[in-house]
Amino acid sequence: MIKYFKDIITGAWSLIKGLFVTFKNLFSKAVTIQYPTQKLRMVDRYRGLVDLRIEKCIKCHMCVKICPTGCLSLVHKENAEKKKEFEHFKYNMELCCFCGMCDQVCPTQAIYMDKIYEIAVYDRDKITRIDLLNTGKYDEWAHPTVK
Amino acid sequence: METAKENLQTEEFWVNMGPQHPSTHGVLYVELKLSGETVVDCIINIGYLHRGIEKIAENRTYTQFMPFTDRLDYVASMTNNLGYVLAVEKSMKTEVNDRAKYIRVIIAELQRVASHLVGITTFVQDLGAFATPLFYGFREREKIIEFFDELCGNRLTYNYMRIGGVQFDLPKGTDEKIKYIVKYMRPKIDDLESLFSSNAIFTARTKGIGVLSKEKAINYSVTGPNLRASGVKWDLRKDEPYLCYDKFNFDIPTGANGDSWDRYKVRIEEMRQSLRIVEQAIGGLPEGDPTVKIGRIIKPEPGEAYMRTEAPRGELGFYVVSDGSTYPYRLKIRSPSFSNLAVLPELVKGMKVADVVCVLGSLDIVMGDIDR
Repeated sequence: MIKYFKDIITGAWSLIKGLFVTFKNLFSKAVTIQYPTQKLRMVDRYRGLVDLRIEKCIKCHMCVKICPTGCLSLVHKENAEKKKEFEHFKYNMELCCFCGMCDQVCPTQAIYMDKIYEIAVYDRDKITRIDLLNTGKYDEWAHPTVK
Repeated sequence: METAKENLQTEEFWVNMGPQHPSTHGVLYVELKLSGETVVDCIINIGYLHRGIEKIAENRTYTQFMPFTDRLDYVASMTNNLGYVLAVEKSMKTEVNDRAKYIRVIIAELQRVASHLVGITTFVQDLGAFATPLFYGFREREKIIEFFDELCGNRLTYNYMRIGGVQFDLPKGTDEKIKYIVKYMRPKIDDLESLFSSNAIFTARTKGIGVLSKEKAINYSVTGPNLRASGVKWDLRKDEPYLCYDKFNFDIPTGANGDSWDRYKVRIEEMRQSLRIVEQAIGGLPEGDPTVKIGRIIKPEPGEAYMRTEAPRGELGFYVVSDGSTYPYRLKIRSPSFSNLAVLPELVKGMKVADVVCVLGSLDIVMGDIDR
């Protein structure tokens, strides 16, 4: 009988204590943001989609070699003046694990990671065969910061 | 009445828990043999999240394998990164500078706090405290994740450690930020503890449930908070110090009974100790350049190295066999959750089926770590 009342008292006390924590949080500021209308600024080191500064690339294939998932494919040819020219430079976002090693290994900072994170497409080819040589490739997606 | 009971035929039956079950923390399949509501037998089936990471390692260079370690224990990616780089550094017989060591300690301890917050709050959620404590835990964790985001640019798969150092130096204003995190976190941990520990339902459902004795814990090679809850004072940070853990003052919390309650208590206390280490480390942060250029060609001498570290869930070991090439010949991962899960059948036999969830939650497993 005593145990019965004791249980009720401890139960009620735990309820009050729990409600106290809830009460404290009731008046604290909200930590969430209203996403589609309100957007966070991406940090400087944010690793989004891979992008290329075409004029800086020296076709050294470092990024292709370091990529753990093999999502980059670069083919180049030599022209008459023995200068390297792009044949193609494709990026498969589906395989990409966003590790940022291509960014880090590039000797001329030609390949880098964008701040784009809203990537939704109806056509799968749009993300599996991204042509890095096309300058307007990411235009349809929102750029949270200036390109 | 008596005769009716005698005439009743009872039969033991199998119940499948999982693979898609909300409280198995991933894709775990547990077969339970029940007699009424009592568990008679328990068989664990794993492998639903197997990605062959150990085999992948043999086809990747030492640097390339780094992002894959993020995907082992995805709740505590930083400590996986750390364990791997320490193993490779051991096989190369190199040492990193003091600043890199301090940064690694800070990062690993913050990660431990973040991981335990997830561990405890999901455990409480499994016991029926729906959503609210989980959100409290995730809100606190968010502070740490935001810091990691600023540090390396990602929120879950960090890929921050590098063989021979770290990827980036701490960003500007980190001192204040970390001090703020420590200051912010302490009262919040107290809040969480008062919320759970004083709760009559939580106490009733955890005290004396899933008692793991000292001997059994050692026999099953259970490690981490689960082992310490059983009363064994074993922590690699103290007993086999790596990095610069020997320079810091911290206690190893242990439990007395080894039940679910103790496992929860040890985790709460461990978070406090981790914050203590972070505070000391940020106070004595040495100068220097911790960053290292990404190693394209890493060739350890032929031989083998085994490095074990204290991850949030227990002892995380990486065994690297090198044949002198840029690819590891063999990489074996000793993951803590695997051994911790193996003890589950011993704990749940003879218990009510509802307590299986409680014990499983208190063991704090991550399936990515188990299946690899």
